[in-house]
Amino acid sequence: MALAHEVGRIVGLFALACVQVTLLGLPSGFTLPLVPVLVICRALLGVSDAFPDVGLGRALRWALYGGLALDVFGATPLGAHALALLLGVLVVAALTRQLRVERPVVPLLAVLVGMLIYETVLALFLQPGAIEWRSYLLMVVLPSVVIALAPTLPLFFMLRRVLRGQG
Amino acid sequence: MRPTVATQPLWPAPTPMRDFLDDHPIKLRRERSPVPGSLRPFVLAIGLCLLAGLLVFLDRRGVITPARQAVQSLTAPVAQRLTSLRDEAGAFITAPRGAAALEARIAALERENGELRNQVLRLEQVQVENAFLRQQLAIQQAHPWTLLGAEVTVRSPDAGRRMITIARGSREGLRPGMAVISQLPGTPAALIGIVESTGPHAADVLLITDISSQVSGRVIHQGRAEVGLVQGQWQRGSRLQLGQITRALELAPGDTVVTAGLTAALRLPFDLAAIPPNIPIGSVETVRVIDQYQIAEVRPFVDPDQVRYVWVILSQEE
Repeated sequence: MALAHEVGRIVGLFALACVQVTLLGLPSGFTLPLVPVLVICRALLGVSDAFPDVGLGRALRWALYGGLALDVFGATPLGAHALALLLGVLVVAALTRQLRVERPVVPLLAVLVGMLIYETVLALFLQPGAIEWRSYLLMVVLPSVVIALAPTLPLFFMLRRVLRGQG
Repeated sequence: MRPTVATQPLWPAPTPMRDFLDDHPIKLRRERSPVPGSLRPFVLAIGLCLLAGLLVFLDRRGVITPARQAVQSLTAPVAQRLTSLRDEAGAFITAPRGAAALEARIAALERENGELRNQVLRLEQVQVENAFLRQQLAIQQAHPWTLLGAEVTVRSPDAGRRMITIARGSREGLRPGMAVISQLPGTPAALIGIVESTGPHAADVLLITDISSQVSGRVIHQGRAEVGLVQGQWQRGSRLQLGQITRALELAPGDTVVTAGLTAALRLPFDLAAIPPNIPIGSVETVRVIDQYQIAEVRPFVDPDQVRYVWVILSQEE
């Protein structure tokens, strides 16, 4: 049964990654980062869970599956997105240990921090040659983070509702 | 369900109890424990990070790349279908609606069409230029000349003067007296005229068929050569005439005529000193004998009236 649930999570995250890379492209060239935002929200909810160890463990597995799915659909080295997401989740979990995640500002801040780490790690992995950080920050990272903030609250509350319904 | 509350308590209750009796919703808050309770998730995180790093390493080494590509090939049809759905949806959303929108769309498409036509024209020009450059390269490989290509911009409007204007001038190093050659399909690169005057960005070229054109020429017959004078004959109803050839060498139809480069050889301070020897001019068609000399009608290898692109011989390797 547990294995079936795990396979279901993997399939679900692959489907979401597929949706992200195909349907959520914006005319500006950016993509609505559905999977990273969901994984960060899952980490927040996991940290605030009755059993945070279990919740955070699940969020980390989401990060791995979602990252690998993005690598498969994005034709990037397998593990690059996964590592970026795992590090983002880890930092977010460490920073939000003592916070009440029900406040709307917490998911927004968590996605802000998580996406900054995610984009930075991806840049280190995927950009060939030396990176001109100032322009990269202005042209890539900041717009990506701003775009990620847009769906954060709806996704966070929807995910919380779904998880509570399950639990 | 809220507990039933008495309006008047029978005895004073201690302060904590009043919370249960007041008409306020009871909030149950879980006491927060340090989260996470153990290092287990962080150990898991480090383990997963190492796993991801290992996957990146293996993929970069190509060890698991076939597996990733296999999964990608499996998911590609779904992704492609979804992408086309998004494109269709985007096209539907952005499609013009109403007469005004359609007219604006048509106007925009017409503008785009015009721009594309311009681009096609530019591309065709580039292709032509590319062909000419290839031709120039072939000529330069076959001859010791340094060439400068130029388009024929203007042909002399009056029939009495066989001249063309080319789109290169003194700024590009052209000087009067320089030889101008061209090549048509199936012909060798051959002399078609001499630069007569130059402006900064244009030059007038006197065609060799003009009656005032005179160039020293060498006719080659069975391994022997004789020097004569090649003169234009267009205004006399012909093309070129080779004169002043002694009867010591019997000319025959088909003999080749090239430039002699006498002015250059004698180092005379004339403009024509810039004409190098051995530039093909034409071939003998008919021969007449007048006294001690022979006069030949010469058919130029390249008809100067047909050329659209020429090369100026700037210099010749010693």
